[in-house]
Amino acid sequence: MLSGKNLTKKYQGREILKGINIVVKPGKITSLIGASGSGKTTLLRVLSMLDLPDSGSITFDKEEYNFPKDRDNIINPYPKISIVFQQLFLFPHLTLRQNILLPLRNNVDEKLIEELIDVLQMREFIDRHPNQVSIGQRQRVAIARALALKPEYLLLDEITSSLDVEQVDAVLNYLLKLKEGGMGILIVTHLLNFAEKASDTIVFLDEGNVIETGGRGILENPNHPRIKKFLSIIKAVS
Amino acid sequence: MSVFNIIFTYKEGLFLGLLVTLKLCLVIWFSGIVIGTLLGYLSAKYRSEIGISTKIIAFILSGIPVLVLLFWLHYPIQAMLEIVIDPFYTAAFALSLINIFAVSEMVRSALNNFPTQYNLAAKVCGLSQKETFIKIELPIIFRQIIPSLLSLQVTMLQLTLFASLISVEEIFRVAQRINSLIYKPIEIYSALAIFFLIICLPLNGLAMWLKYKFTRDISEQ
Repeated sequence: MLSGKNLTKKYQGREILKGINIVVKPGKITSLIGASGSGKTTLLRVLSMLDLPDSGSITFDKEEYNFPKDRDNIINPYPKISIVFQQLFLFPHLTLRQNILLPLRNNVDEKLIEELIDVLQMREFIDRHPNQVSIGQRQRVAIARALALKPEYLLLDEITSSLDVEQVDAVLNYLLKLKEGGMGILIVTHLLNFAEKASDTIVFLDEGNVIETGGRGILENPNHPRIKKFLSIIKAVS
Repeated sequence: MSVFNIIFTYKEGLFLGLLVTLKLCLVIWFSGIVIGTLLGYLSAKYRSEIGISTKIIAFILSGIPVLVLLFWLHYPIQAMLEIVIDPFYTAAFALSLINIFAVSEMVRSALNNFPTQYNLAAKVCGLSQKETFIKIELPIIFRQIIPSLLSLQVTMLQLTLFASLISVEEIFRVAQRINSLIYKPIEIYSALAIFFLIICLPLNGLAMWLKYKFTRDISEQ
């Protein structure tokens, strides 16, 4: 299990996370929803220990880290935890195929790579460089790079923002398959349909606080007025 | 006497001058690239201990004309210290100094401005620090600086002409001597221009090609 308790984080004096509790369970998909600036990406980075929290604790792999005490005692969690960043961060000097293969060193699972290339429809452009393809194509490669590492926990930050409907559907189905295989997945998304179809748990974040947590149903009947307003705006826009 | 006649008649002298120019170049290029890269790396790593002083020296050097530096090292400083140094070494030292600090600044700036998101991505992919340096940082930085590094080395080659002014028997000085014997400035300096074109143009062309090939949008946002 990957979980955070009472997580706080400040950037330049501004409190971004204000004592957040979150759990990502194996074989479950959790979606994180909230307005821009609500702390979603920060929470994802803190939970993955890329940025360490100012206080609170993170449990991963039966190890509990209490902050700030354990800042220097963290056992490298990567690639057991893998992240797909919103900005993708593909290595520009490598082809897309090399981007996927480089982290695998000599442990390349050819079958999995071929499966990812097919599922994410990358065969046509897989041997090009990142600057030679569209953002949507890069997004698929970034997802494949993370999945090829066979992580136990996968954290995804707005990974469907540049994909078309068909590709979103392909990603959704593949994530559901991974979930069945026991992977714990945390998704930051603005796509309510995607969250509704994929999630076991939905967490609403507002100004650094979790304001509501629940099953898919809370997308239809949220209790918190802030969420009601947020969802009505999204629905109106879409 | 045509250009080719002059080259053929004075081939030995020109060849020796050419050798001195190339020897001077090799010293300048090698010291600049090796020591400059090392100094740049150390400047980026130890910003306050080494970085600030190298930045100040590079800044001061950039404000001193090459000729002034060369003459200053050749005449006043040797007179003050009461020593006599072979002008070849003086020229090699002065030009190497300029190259070392120019390369060092290039490397330091590339390292300091290296997009940290690639380190994050490498970390998340489970790459070690060593792997990240060798497989990610180094190739990206190399691609970033190689075109300007090549252009700088071409400029350094051209600056070796100044060595003739402190009596280094490099190719320009040999050409001057031949001209004083036969007075054929158009032919002699044309031959010299052709020599420099043959060496500099391919290097400049290579720098342009590498710039076109490698300086793709690495921000990749």
